[in-house]
Amino acid sequence: MSRPKRSTEDFAEEVRAHLEFEADELRSEGLSAEEALRRAHVEFGSVRTAKERFYLRSRIQWLDSILRDLRYGVRSLFNSPGFAITAVLTLALGIGANTAVFSVMNAVLLRSLPVSDPTRLVYLHPSHAPYGTGTINSRETLSYAIYETLHDQHPGLADVIAYVPLSINKVAVRYGAQPEEAEGDMVSGTFFSGLGVKLPQGRGFTEQDEKDHASIAVISYNYWTRRFARNPDVLGTTLFVNGIAFTIVGISGEGFEGLEAGRSTDFWIPLQNRPELNAWGNPLDDGKTYATNPTWWCLRLIGRLAPDVSKQQAAAALNPLFQRAAYIGLGSPAAGEKAPTLSLEEARGFPGYSEEYGRPLRMLMAMVGFVLLIALTNVVMLLTARNAARQREFSMRLALGAGRRDLLRQLLAESLLLVTAGGALAWVFARMATRALASWAQIESSLAPDRTVLAFALGILFVAALIFGLAPLRIALAAGPALSLKTSAATSNADAGRSRGARIMVAFQMTLCVVLLVGAGLLIRTLRNLENTPLGFPVDGLVVFGVNPHVTSVPQGKAFYRELISKLRELPGVESVTVMQERIGSWSSDNSDMTVDGRLPDVPNGSSRTVRSNVAGPGFFTTLGVPVLAGRDFADSDTETSPHVGIINEQFARRFFPNRNPLGHMVGTNDGRYQMTVIGVVKDHKYRSIDEEPIPMAWYEYAQIPIAGRMEVELRVHGDPLAILPSARKVVQQIDPNLPLIKPMTQRAQYNLTISSQTLFARLAGFFGLLAVVLVATGLYGTLAYRVSRRTAEIGVRMALGAGRSQVVWMILRDSLFLTAVGIIAGVPLAFALGRALSSSLYGVQPLDALTYGIAILGVTLVAFIASAAPASRAASVDPLKALRTE
Amino acid sequence: MPTQENNDDRIALLQGTLDILILKTLLLGPLHGQGVARSIQRQSEEVLFVDHGSLYLALQRLEDKDLIQAKWGVSENNRKARFYSLTAKGRAELLDKTSQWKRLTRAMGLILEPQGEEG
Repeated sequence: MSRPKRSTEDFAEEVRAHLEFEADELRSEGLSAEEALRRAHVEFGSVRTAKERFYLRSRIQWLDSILRDLRYGVRSLFNSPGFAITAVLTLALGIGANTAVFSVMNAVLLRSLPVSDPTRLVYLHPSHAPYGTGTINSRETLSYAIYETLHDQHPGLADVIAYVPLSINKVAVRYGAQPEEAEGDMVSGTFFSGLGVKLPQGRGFTEQDEKDHASIAVISYNYWTRRFARNPDVLGTTLFVNGIAFTIVGISGEGFEGLEAGRSTDFWIPLQNRPELNAWGNPLDDGKTYATNPTWWCLRLIGRLAPDVSKQQAAAALNPLFQRAAYIGLGSPAAGEKAPTLSLEEARGFPGYSEEYGRPLRMLMAMVGFVLLIALTNVVMLLTARNAARQREFSMRLALGAGRRDLLRQLLAESLLLVTAGGALAWVFARMATRALASWAQIESSLAPDRTVLAFALGILFVAALIFGLAPLRIALAAGPALSLKTSAATSNADAGRSRGARIMVAFQMTLCVVLLVGAGLLIRTLRNLENTPLGFPVDGLVVFGVNPHVTSVPQGKAFYRELISKLRELPGVESVTVMQERIGSWSSDNSDMTVDGRLPDVPNGSSRTVRSNVAGPGFFTTLGVPVLAGRDFADSDTETSPHVGIINEQFARRFFPNRNPLGHMVGTNDGRYQMTVIGVVKDHKYRSIDEEPIPMAWYEYAQIPIAGRMEVELRVHGDPLAILPSARKVVQQIDPNLPLIKPMTQRAQYNLTISSQTLFARLAGFFGLLAVVLVATGLYGTLAYRVSRRTAEIGVRMALGAGRSQVVWMILRDSLFLTAVGIIAGVPLAFALGRALSSSLYGVQPLDALTYGIAILGVTLVAFIASAAPASRAASVDPLKALRTE
Repeated sequence: MPTQENNDDRIALLQGTLDILILKTLLLGPLHGQGVARSIQRQSEEVLFVDHGSLYLALQRLEDKDLIQAKWGVSENNRKARFYSLTAKGRAELLDKTSQWKRLTRAMGLILEPQGEEG
């Protein structure tokens, strides 16, 4: 046991005394007072050096005692492995879950782009696009004409950068012989220079490259690593994109994955203007590419604010230009049309993701926060119980001469060990959980933890260490040396105050547990509802893939699909085959107004005229299994030369042909240029996603419309749908060896993707609910077991005085049931609040769903029962004689 | 007298020996630091010179090892001083170290004696 450290002052005092003694002696030998003092000093040598050596020595000693404390701590934790493992695991789960969710939230909502001076970058977002325009996202995408205008003249901005993907998913590329897929963007010449992205190898693009539509490409560091094994010789070689040759001229710096939200771009090429490389992989619209079509708003723009210009100033300067540019090629605004406006938004997180994931992520963050609170209180309770049980040990050590400071330092060392071990494990756990989260949320860009995430995790650990350090403080101060002299467990029992603290914590945990279970319950019921939503047709047995043939004319395209369909029909196991332009269940739809019998239909004030449309091949509804209510399905006999035919759904018929038979009427595009006769009415069904409501829809016949390009192929097969893919791939490559199957999957999987965020949300919430239950159960069990063991003597006395075993069991149970009741009473209103906040994420279930509350309350009560059962039965089996004799 | 090179040996030797000398000195009764230094010098007939800085560190070291204990007190000429005294542990240590030392010097003597060089 080390004594309180000796101060340097005390040492200095001793040295001073020494010098005086020495001088005294020298004086008595006959020296003068002055000379005696001088000689004493000389003989001693440097006083300062002595002091320094003393100081240094005490430092080393201090370090030594810390090491001793840590060694002792490790030993004592090893002596109670149950406690140590529970505490470390609890911490790791709590902190790991928080770090993982925070990592994703950080990437999606908070993180700036990995470019130079990201705070000066702004997204250019439009609102009120003019009538007659089509957008990718009405609040994010702009036309090429607008880009051109702002590129030439951009007051308030230092640079304007345009970028657009070459495909909705991946684009066909070839490097060497093997066709494959990659994610590619077309970008303006200012892309790399304007963003400030470094290219350690090769070069980026210039304004001239953009003007020339230069056939050069920059590949990303990730693609370089994944596909080319970081071979530096890749510079100067050729990458074929949709069959067009591009020379690789640069490799982007590590960490830059492009600007596509949640994606990792593999390569960039300068903006092109050719049919093979249209924006989003779309077929030409009336012979126009994105660059020549003013009605297609499909580019994303990002700008860098000029020095000393605010977002508002720049927006004000840009808007007059923007409003003029918005109508280039469109004529003048219609009466009553709202003026389009441009707003600048800070480039932070993933654009567009904050709407879909922002709220769920914040809710998840709150939920894991609750889990963390439960985990922390659990460890505090465990620590308190353990330290209280060790009070005799502490008293003994105090009696043997240890200082309270030694004791406290000892306890702090143990806490530190727990936090360090828990933190290390939490980091491992968080990395794994983040990866799982990313794959579930379909985020391909890297979610590697950055400094913010690290700071977040360390922050939690610091708070944990502080709490765990303070918890034992009271114990260490309360333990007196006298305590060890008392021998009775009854007298050395924990005083009422401390057990009150534990009881409050248990009730608090119950409260949080109720809230988490209600939240998890609501979300899981939502998921069940979504999964069981009927789609309106038998989706099992369907498989879908995309093909993007290299065709230069419409007839060539039609011929390609005719050949493909007939060849696929011959495959064994294939029941029927059809094609469509927009893949169903992929979130996207082509929305526009349509003419009915030659004019835009009248609609009651305020209601929408919008119609969704798609282009479908022969036997489309038969293949899907959507019932045709009147008329017929598209057939092979519908060709370029036969009369134009179309099919509508019930909603269309009800809204635009009220009380009339729609068959035989004409419907057409909003400009009236393409007209078709309605030949069938089909039953409403889920088109874009599982959780949508049906709206009016119309289908064009694929062979008749003047568009050729990428289509989605749908097969209905016998047996496992995916088993057909190898032979389907062979068929496609017989026609064109360069064509990959694009995103092949079952139609069921495609629909499930539309609820992937809900699925993820519900699964995570369920997991956190379960985690909370497990943590609460261990916490309650630990506390109760400890209290029963402390009350063995008391129970013995009670039983000796005539208390029955059932009374003893009830005594223990009553206690935990009371705490549970308190927790539930506090938790239900809190769960109300959570349910209300969740309401926008719920589907087919009310925020105040009685069943969910019932199950949550039952669950918590059950947990309390189970956790109390073992301690209660132990209490009941106390032998009164033995219990009293041990005293 | 030892040469310059031998100085290092002497210091190394001193480390161990100084501790024994302090313990031995304190066997007679509590003393303050300066008293210990004087006593060692006098008893060795001024052959051994104690470096005062090292002495105090040695005292601290022994104190940390619980071989001696210290207390502030007042000397006979009324000066405040830190008095050191032996603990039970220190007494045992002294016995142990003394017998070790005796065995060592005897062994050394057996080897060095025949040459008859040592004075």
